[in-house]
Amino acid sequence: MDGTTVAARAAATSKPTFDSRAVVSLQGATKVFGGTVAIADVSFDLRAGDVLALLGENGAGKSTCVKLLAGVHQPTAGDVLVEGQVRRFSSPQDSQRSGIAVMHQHPGLFPDLSIAENLFIGFEDEKAHWLIDPRKRLAQARGLIDLVGLDCDPRAPLSSLRTSEQQLVEIARALSRNARVIIMDEPTAALSQREVERLFAVVADLRAHDVAMMFVGHRMDEIYRIADRIAVLRDGRLVATERASELSRDRAIQLMVGRSLDGLYPHNPQQAGGLALSVSHLSQGEAFQDVSFDLRAGEILGFGGLVGSGRTEVARVLFGIDQPSAGAISIDGQPVQFGSAKQAMAHGLAYVSEDRIGQSLVMDFAIRANASLTVLDQATRAGILSPGREIALAEPYLERLRLKFSSYEQPVGALSGGNQQKVVLSKWLATRPRILILDEPTQGIDVQTKADVHAMIADLASQGMAIILISSELPELLGMCDRMIVLREGRLVAEFSRSEATQEKVIRAATGAYPTSTAPAALAASAPDEAVTASPPIAELQGARRFAHRELGLVAAIAAVVIPVVLINPRMLSPINLTSLAMDLALLTIVAAAQMLVLITRNIDLSVASTIGLCAYGAASVIHAHPGIGVAGAIGLSCLIGLACGLANGLVVTLGRVPAIVVTLGTMSVFRGLDSLWTGGKQISADQVPQEWLDMTSAKILGVPTVVLIALLTIVVLALALRSLTIGRELFAIGSNPSGARLVGIPVERRVLLAFAIAGLLAGFDGALWASRYATVDARVASGYELTVIASVVVGGVAIRGGAGTLIGVVLGSLMLLAIKNGLTLVRVDPLWLQGVYGLVILLAVGIDSVVARRAAVSIKRAVS
Amino acid sequence: MSPSKKPTPTLISRFASWEGFLALITLGVLLAAALFVPNFLSTFNISQAIAGVSERALIVLPMALLIIAREIDLSVASTLALTSVIFGMLIQANVPLGVSLSLTLIAGAALGAFNGVLVTRLKLPSLVVTLGTLAMFRGIGYILLGSGSVNIFPDALTNFGIDNVLDSPLPWTIVPFLVLAPIFAIVLQKTPTGRRIYAIGGSPETARYSGINLPRTILLLFVTSGITSAIAGIVFTARLANARANNAVGLELDVITIVLLGGVSVFGGKGKLTGVLLALVLIATIRNCLGLMQIGGDAQGTVIGLLLITSLLISNAASRMYDLLGVWLATPKRE
Repeated sequence: MDGTTVAARAAATSKPTFDSRAVVSLQGATKVFGGTVAIADVSFDLRAGDVLALLGENGAGKSTCVKLLAGVHQPTAGDVLVEGQVRRFSSPQDSQRSGIAVMHQHPGLFPDLSIAENLFIGFEDEKAHWLIDPRKRLAQARGLIDLVGLDCDPRAPLSSLRTSEQQLVEIARALSRNARVIIMDEPTAALSQREVERLFAVVADLRAHDVAMMFVGHRMDEIYRIADRIAVLRDGRLVATERASELSRDRAIQLMVGRSLDGLYPHNPQQAGGLALSVSHLSQGEAFQDVSFDLRAGEILGFGGLVGSGRTEVARVLFGIDQPSAGAISIDGQPVQFGSAKQAMAHGLAYVSEDRIGQSLVMDFAIRANASLTVLDQATRAGILSPGREIALAEPYLERLRLKFSSYEQPVGALSGGNQQKVVLSKWLATRPRILILDEPTQGIDVQTKADVHAMIADLASQGMAIILISSELPELLGMCDRMIVLREGRLVAEFSRSEATQEKVIRAATGAYPTSTAPAALAASAPDEAVTASPPIAELQGARRFAHRELGLVAAIAAVVIPVVLINPRMLSPINLTSLAMDLALLTIVAAAQMLVLITRNIDLSVASTIGLCAYGAASVIHAHPGIGVAGAIGLSCLIGLACGLANGLVVTLGRVPAIVVTLGTMSVFRGLDSLWTGGKQISADQVPQEWLDMTSAKILGVPTVVLIALLTIVVLALALRSLTIGRELFAIGSNPSGARLVGIPVERRVLLAFAIAGLLAGFDGALWASRYATVDARVASGYELTVIASVVVGGVAIRGGAGTLIGVVLGSLMLLAIKNGLTLVRVDPLWLQGVYGLVILLAVGIDSVVARRAAVSIKRAVS
Repeated sequence: MSPSKKPTPTLISRFASWEGFLALITLGVLLAAALFVPNFLSTFNISQAIAGVSERALIVLPMALLIIAREIDLSVASTLALTSVIFGMLIQANVPLGVSLSLTLIAGAALGAFNGVLVTRLKLPSLVVTLGTLAMFRGIGYILLGSGSVNIFPDALTNFGIDNVLDSPLPWTIVPFLVLAPIFAIVLQKTPTGRRIYAIGGSPETARYSGINLPRTILLLFVTSGITSAIAGIVFTARLANARANNAVGLELDVITIVLLGGVSVFGGKGKLTGVLLALVLIATIRNCLGLMQIGGDAQGTVIGLLLITSLLISNAASRMYDLLGVWLATPKRE
């Protein structure tokens, strides 16, 4: 479609005509998800040097607009236009290529990668440079983080930053693109005042450079400071687009909420009972501070406020899932402390989570099983679950809520959102709670079900249940509640009774449109800043120190093993022993490095030892039968077999979607079996192979055995590849955040296949070296070696969950295990003890790691609060 | 119209198809063995085959529950070996048989609790913890008994290890399994604990928010695994009249293979003991037949490894096609 057709169409539908300064536009965009219309017929444009603010309540459609422009979704109807041309973004990369950069509200960044890497990973021109220039990248990174006012070492891992700082990295990432259009989705939600000011300075600069910008936010102050134009969305439709100078705040709020409260909400006159729940000065770290309120039996208390204002966090503390950092809760006048949901339930509390699929339902279960999950012990007859009793416990509520279903055995995944929520409610009502906390109970639900749920809520209140209703839907809040409190950024800023509450008042309190008289005096804009400036650059401490700590710890541990042994038997340091140790180390580190490659992508390879065995025999038998092939030929063949094994693993994992642990469990046996078949019970001994084959590993150059040099070279090459090749960093990214990796365009399957292939190749290479070193090769080569390999990498600090690990760690871990083995032998300890010691070392290593990691997390939290 | 209480064909039929599929293959293999493998059907061979699988049969029971709950226990074989050593040493020290048996079971429970505490208190991944205890427990066995063995056992025990029940081809060593299997099956399918195990595996967050005590349930599973491995250790010792530290090396992988082949998902939350038991029979039959055909242990492992991988590949492909079909069928009738 060219510009003329677009203009003609726009004219025909009498929409605002295409502005020549518009860089990117939505034209009649409609997006439907399943049965829900997220936005309908929305049109606006983003113009060079101009900031458009998108205003709207939760659920108005703002994030859908962002996702359409970002290329995450495609419009069901309507178009995205770039400079007048219709564009179809099939992926976020397409959107990027058109010059659009997005600052996401919940950035999918990679905690294990460095800050600098997070800034650049996944971008097109990055990928064009397959080799990373560290100095250039560091300089670029420094420039960007200075721009956003972040004070940290770009080489530190992202996980060492606080949430607000990570948000700044996301902002910097968007700014790195030199984009023509920048879309900011709630960029200030996690930022402090000082950081927000910095961002605004950046925006002013971008404006001067003719960048088109869109700002999605909730804080009226910010919006009015930064926006040139304001577009208001309501219930998925665009209700107005006006210049900020011509739109008063009152009118903006009216436009945002403007529906009349004509929906009849059932409400029974309040019969206030006794005090059921009393909360006093409750705080939880960063999430919320100093919240106090009372709740009476038969009362419905509403929690208003924006997403992220702390309402759910309060609920989770009340329900025992999280622990408060200060304050008190009492039920019926008795102070209580809940360490778990079960304890809260024992006191008559029930919590209907806002995350229906992740926290309220087990999707694999049927209706009956979900509905009885909270009252299993009551559904038994002589200890055995009785389906009849399960149904009896749930039936009354399911019927009252008028659940539509064909059988109790229907899986909940097949139900609509509304019916799923009815199952969830039944589940909780079956516990006969006295205090019911509902967190967004009608979110994403059809109108009829909403009505059914509202009727139930009113009914329960009239029967004496104390209810907390957390809702972002103003009509619901105002229609259902007897009283409501409003939270903003973790503080209780307003309290309204039913008669005095209006939609405008609530929104004003929630967004801070005007400072309200009921707000607590210290709105804490300054306090967090002091914390920011006073504390030392945490990132620098965390990153550098953590790595040094671990490696130093390993060196110390190795010394702790070696020194006593040397004192008992000085032969440990003799040249013969050291040479032998070094050669063992060489063989182990090569295959441990292979295992690390696979582990960092969040997979595992249990078949490496079997691959070594197979390839060792392959190499030895070939050079025995055809000596003419030469050392190089035998090594080549061995590597080829290993590569084939690795590819087999990789293909079944990536194409077959079978988890790596299962695949390699199988191939472990398969390869060992093939090895057994090939050897046929025979073996190849030293006198059956050419001398040059044996010399390959044992000959010395400058006193160092060649195998050690070969291993050293391999490790160095791998280390360089992992550090300096884009592909290497991508492997870490995949393990650190697999879905995030896909979103930034990393070809996950291809990279994982590559990791397995190289692992197989290295194992094959190791097999050849093994055959050369140990001379006698049979079907039992490297049998049981898997344990040693995995132990080496675990002790060496490679994370089993992926994303982290260093080759130095792997080398040190391997050295540690071999030093122990060597030490035990020299001290005349029964070599059979070795296994036990290895096991202990693994447990100590992961145990210490876990304790250290937890201490680090606590210290970050402490530095912040 | 009141809703029916009968199951709808959707999810159930999918599972029935995996167990059905397995049942077909198992029957097929049994039939082929009976027809084509000489000596397969002899009483002696059947008895040997069943006896040979006595320990694995026991251990698949708690392993299935653990994997359903999204955990794993790699240390079962080492626990078997260590408890076997402890048992042997108690007998050698002339501790009465009854007391020895009880102490061995307690030892198994303690070993299981060790795993459980590390996983639940220190929140360490069970894969790594049990990898460590796999080495450590067996190592302790070596420290206690070295490379020696205990070979002298009371007659009651050795008779248990060798004899068959009355005159049937059923060896006494399979009886503990026959007693425990129904108990495990009932607990898993029909008690609150079993339901909680499925919930923890299906959605740990939902389980937590529903008031289920995850650490306690997981600890219980590991302790059960330890006790069952101890029973297996006693059975193994009785059967081979031999307690040594390197008993049953590699058994854990066989057990895990059986559980996965039996339809228990490695992601947790799905699987039934009926499938696992079918897989047990299948693998026992295959190993027995291959042994009768003079095909050695390693090659047997190859066949089993291939079976595991192909079965999962087929299952994935089938479920992907099923999902596509389901979406296509369900779209017009969606509520």
